[in-house]
Amino acid sequence: MPLFRKVLIANRGEIAVRVARTCRVMGIPTVAVFSEADRDAVHTRVCDEAVPIGPAEAAASYLNVEPLVEAARRTGADAVHPGYGFLSQNGDFADAVAAAGLVFIGPPGGVHRRMGDKKAARRLMAAAGVPVVPGYDGDDQGDETLLAVARRIGWPVMLKPSRGGGGKGMRVVRAESDFATALAASRREARSAFGDDVMVIERFLARPRHVEVQVLADGHGQVLHLGERECSIQRRHQKVVEETPSLALGEEGRAALHAAGVAAAKAAFYVNAGTVEFLLDESGAFYFLEMNTRLQVEHAVTECVTGLDLVRLQIEVAAGRPLTRSQDQVRARGHALECRLYAEDPDRDDLPSPGRILAWSMAEGPGVRVDAGVAVGSEVPVHYDPLLAKVVTWGGDRAECVERMADALAHTVALGVTTNLARLRAVIAHPAFLGGALHTGFIDEHLGATLGAAPPPTEALAAVAAVLHAQKANPTAAGRPAALDPWAGLGSWRLGAGSGRA
Amino acid sequence: MSVHDGPEGTVVAIDGRRLVLRLEGNPPGPFRLRVGTRQLSFHCVRDGEEVHLFWEGVAYRLRLEREGARPAHRATSGSLEAPMPGKVIAIKTAPGDAVRKGDELLVIEAMKMENALRAPRDGVVKAFRARVGDMVNPGAVLVELE
Repeated sequence: MPLFRKVLIANRGEIAVRVARTCRVMGIPTVAVFSEADRDAVHTRVCDEAVPIGPAEAAASYLNVEPLVEAARRTGADAVHPGYGFLSQNGDFADAVAAAGLVFIGPPGGVHRRMGDKKAARRLMAAAGVPVVPGYDGDDQGDETLLAVARRIGWPVMLKPSRGGGGKGMRVVRAESDFATALAASRREARSAFGDDVMVIERFLARPRHVEVQVLADGHGQVLHLGERECSIQRRHQKVVEETPSLALGEEGRAALHAAGVAAAKAAFYVNAGTVEFLLDESGAFYFLEMNTRLQVEHAVTECVTGLDLVRLQIEVAAGRPLTRSQDQVRARGHALECRLYAEDPDRDDLPSPGRILAWSMAEGPGVRVDAGVAVGSEVPVHYDPLLAKVVTWGGDRAECVERMADALAHTVALGVTTNLARLRAVIAHPAFLGGALHTGFIDEHLGATLGAAPPPTEALAAVAAVLHAQKANPTAAGRPAALDPWAGLGSWRLGAGSGRA
Repeated sequence: MSVHDGPEGTVVAIDGRRLVLRLEGNPPGPFRLRVGTRQLSFHCVRDGEEVHLFWEGVAYRLRLEREGARPAHRATSGSLEAPMPGKVIAIKTAPGDAVRKGDELLVIEAMKMENALRAPRDGVVKAFRARVGDMVNPGAVLVELE
């Protein structure tokens, strides 16, 4: 007997596909939702039903509580999985789902509100004995007050939206002269992304590492941790490469970090899967950063080393089941890495690169997992996060894991949009990465200069010429009518000299 | 560059070399290729005047140019174009302002992120062709510099 009659997945892209997979394994039918921009998106095809929820703008669709709850009611779903991003950490959404008599697969509204307010979360954690970054979490948000606070903390400082997440609206301010501009931009981004522009100001730690603890709590008082993840490779405060275990922790530090994660979850009266994020400084001290009250993008690396399915555990906990494992029964084996493939251009300030996927082929093989949300023909809309896929590898040790990742990335074909693939490959091959010397400024320090645009080798240009020639000679070679063939109508062309890496 | 069919495969003369290629497959790939004893696979698909190529782990975007035609060129040096579709949310300078290379000229929001567009070189702002709130498409000229 499946735990739920039907689950509505209130999300899109790779996470909607990933949640649907576990539901299918558990024998639970699924409902996809889609905006007008996602009519033909992959996530709509892998579910048993698909319901339109509104226009392309996220605010009117994936962030709009009413049509989502209505879609669940109309299709007879009895549970809602929020994925990550969008409404996943929105207490009002969790409450609205519960008020409609449905189960929210995640913590209740009160927990989201408690931890979603960075100011209040900092205060709660400090009270529970979990170390926090020195900084300001006060209610007075006047420009003058914030400037005075920043001066007192000392430059550089970090500006963070109190209700933020995913790096949006976060800014490092290095000098007083930049403060007003940065504050205005952060507030603007925070207002548009989270509908709230209250700021927290913290001391900016030099070369910190980002480590986080995966926690899992049932509704019966049991709180487990599933180990840590290190997510120090970031761009614009957004994670790009994650791994577990972290190389930065010794046995003692690891145990202390895990204990702090569990203590944080208990202080928050946490239920379901969540992540407690910390910054680790060069001395080995760690500070609470924030708690993510949802499944993380990078949960797959934890799944690889523990052998657990986090979405299954989320569903079991949401159905009221007690956790059946003790902490001793959670064992991590080997090493796992995740690389996030984004539709963005590392050579141009990470500018998003929406468009249509013209070729798509992902790596496979032992120890390789790819969670993707697109396929050939998919449109990558301008309206949402540009994550295309997560390439995840597992190895018996870090070296094997990295080798598998290097090979997997070399076989990650995504054409039509510009991606960060070259940057991912550069990170994985970098001596500092191989040596484990990671910190959140890694990309700026080691790969800050443009990756350049080496021209393709002569053989490659010859191969393209041969392809163009073959298609011209036989435009129906692909078995499609000539009128629909993208190669038809080819005149006399030569390859441009100014070509470069996409 | 010249291409013709030979008895052993497609003959491509390029960069002073003559390569004989045996090719199998259809767009977007995988294509299987043999050149001499070497064999490999690649992906390749044409989109209008662009060819997208994935070759040995690297994605390339190649521009097709008609023989004899004036070479296509991207950004005119005197202007700043929108690099992606998005919404203009702030304009940082005014016509007549002298700017240095790297100065922030305007801010576009796309995919939930603010992206600062910077001056490609030193110059004086001649005109803005977009206003705050405008949705712009890639290639649209936003700022004229002189």
